[in-house]
Amino acid sequence: MRPGKGDLTEPRQQQGTESSEAELIERAKLGDAEAFQALYDKHKRRVYSLCLRMTANTAEAEDLAQEAFLQLYRKIATFRGESAFSTWLHRLSVNVVLMHLRKKSLPVVSLEETTQGADEDSPKRDFGADDVALAGSIDRMQLQRAVNDLPPGYRTIFVLHDVEGYEHNEIAKIAGCSIGNSKSQLHKARMKLRDLLKMNRAEKAGKSRVG
Amino acid sequence: MDCVELQQSLAEVEDGSGVEQRAHLRACPACSALVQELNLIVTAAGELQAADEPSPRVWNSIEIALRREGLIRPQAKQPVVASFATRWGAARWLVPAAAMLLLAVGIYVRRESQPPQVAQQPHVAVPLANASDMDDADLIQEVADNAPAMMTQYRENLRQVNESIRDAQGVVDESPNDQEARRSLMDAYQQKSMLFEMAMDRSLP
Repeated sequence: MRPGKGDLTEPRQQQGTESSEAELIERAKLGDAEAFQALYDKHKRRVYSLCLRMTANTAEAEDLAQEAFLQLYRKIATFRGESAFSTWLHRLSVNVVLMHLRKKSLPVVSLEETTQGADEDSPKRDFGADDVALAGSIDRMQLQRAVNDLPPGYRTIFVLHDVEGYEHNEIAKIAGCSIGNSKSQLHKARMKLRDLLKMNRAEKAGKSRVG
Repeated sequence: MDCVELQQSLAEVEDGSGVEQRAHLRACPACSALVQELNLIVTAAGELQAADEPSPRVWNSIEIALRREGLIRPQAKQPVVASFATRWGAARWLVPAAAMLLLAVGIYVRRESQPPQVAQQPHVAVPLANASDMDDADLIQEVADNAPAMMTQYRENLRQVNESIRDAQGVVDESPNDQEARRSLMDAYQQKSMLFEMAMDRSLP
């Protein structure tokens, strides 16, 4: 599991913030505006990034982040601290996004259940033959664009697993699919991303040759 | 294990560390490159976590909703804060100014919504926007003096809301019968009024 899964705290704020967060939560329960804003500031990037990654749409992501925080704040009086606040917020944010995708009739996961099959994303014999290699590192912006271009079903699983660090059994519960389906979707998502990134690099290389 | 089987097996054992996978990878440079590239994608994916910042609009909308729903309540006691008059001094007029601004916009929108006057389009909101720019400078100065930590946030929020007002005003000027644009303009002014209200609320004892 990737470190930080379900922990929405800004990285630079992760150490020594437990007591202050508990304090903020108690103040928010009393209706303190600054406490609400401090909690928002602490977690906004993770929540918004999650929403943005899963929807690939800035306006939708902002609306969903807003909805996630509002739902959280409406329930904050019931928070008893049994689980981490960030875990609670993270799960709630994922649910808000998945609900939104379902309302839009976008597939949360693809319908196919196994890694076998003859569809366009099935393993090919000619992979990695003579195309551009993804050597070195992958630029964040390039990867971001490629993730945006993934079909929604693949994107959901990729974001939950590789970006947010959920395990397949957790994804299966959240997204309502089998563990095998989650694994299969993830693998296909990565393969698709690899293709997209290579296409992007090939286009760039072509342009620079022409220029 | 051949190349296709290797690729299929990667769904189960992602990093290619299975015994049969390793044997194939040692002998196949193409599959070895594939696994390396997939691992590169997994590593890079972690950098997408918390990579983006939402616009100030998000918090503004959340705060407005929280106030409307009564979840944000006026605090009973803030001992560090001086009285309203002491703390805000000359800026005390900002509350009535904000109220007047909202009232003027209300009159403007109401007048615009009357059908016989639709053809003639007075630019009532333009001078208001200019006046509000002056108010902004004063407000920012007050926030800078009394709550410097909030200044950047306020400056950005004001910039965004003024931009929204300008955009919406432009659309209303072009299409006087566009109810949606008029509603957007009203919303933008309400957000601005809310910003003033929030600033004053923070200063109240």
